[in-house]
Amino acid sequence: MILDLHGKLMGGPDADNIRDLLHGIIDGGSKKIIVNLGGVNWINSTGVGILMTGYTTMRRNGGDLKLLNVSDRLQSILYVTKLNLIFECFDDEAEAVESFFRE
Amino acid sequence: MSADILVAFPSEYKYLNLVDLVCNEIIDGMGFQHEAANEIAISVIEACTNALEHGNKCCPEENVHVIFSMQPDRLVVEIQDHGEGFDFKDYLKHIPDPTNIHKQRGRGIFIMKRMMDALIFEMLPDGGMKVKLEKMLSKNGN
Repeated sequence: MILDLHGKLMGGPDADNIRDLLHGIIDGGSKKIIVNLGGVNWINSTGVGILMTGYTTMRRNGGDLKLLNVSDRLQSILYVTKLNLIFECFDDEAEAVESFFRE
Repeated sequence: MSADILVAFPSEYKYLNLVDLVCNEIIDGMGFQHEAANEIAISVIEACTNALEHGNKCCPEENVHVIFSMQPDRLVVEIQDHGEGFDFKDYLKHIPDPTNIHKQRGRGIFIMKRMMDALIFEMLPDGGMKVKLEKMLSKNGN
């Protein structure tokens, strides 16, 4: 499943909304999620924390979460916090989808 | 010789966009390279987010004040809120491990410390907290 996020990912109600969304996806039977950040024009460390919580939620439920269209700024944050070692990031949607089938 | 630009905005997330626009103009004008420019913009927004969230508790009546000081060899950005502050000396001694994947929060100060050349916290005598960020031009080959 591809989850297209738009706007700001900076904390506040976003954290609860995304957690609920991911739980809804898991309850619906999907365990492989690609989060498309192409429409996210704002992200900060709290937003990264939200993605991290999503990743942990998916992994705990036997699934996985990968990132698509990561901005320069997010790449910098991931690199500094070493979360680039955790998240698989893609620029191409087809490649991201394919990566699940290679596992 | 330095030039200062002041921005004051109500403690609401929507105004961070304005700070970012001003910040990017200043960074471009000073000639910072791409990576350094990203690091400054990320750090300024992190500090402003902390100020409006933790300092001013998202109260729109309380302003966050940002002062961009363009100096010949560096950019200095001061971010002030009206909050009670926190024990930053203790916090800086024990910065949480940002790679702890179970943590949703607590990475902001670590990120600022890593991305900027200086990060200084100061409690203001009349209340509130000031965060000072510095980025040197010389370290970017300019």
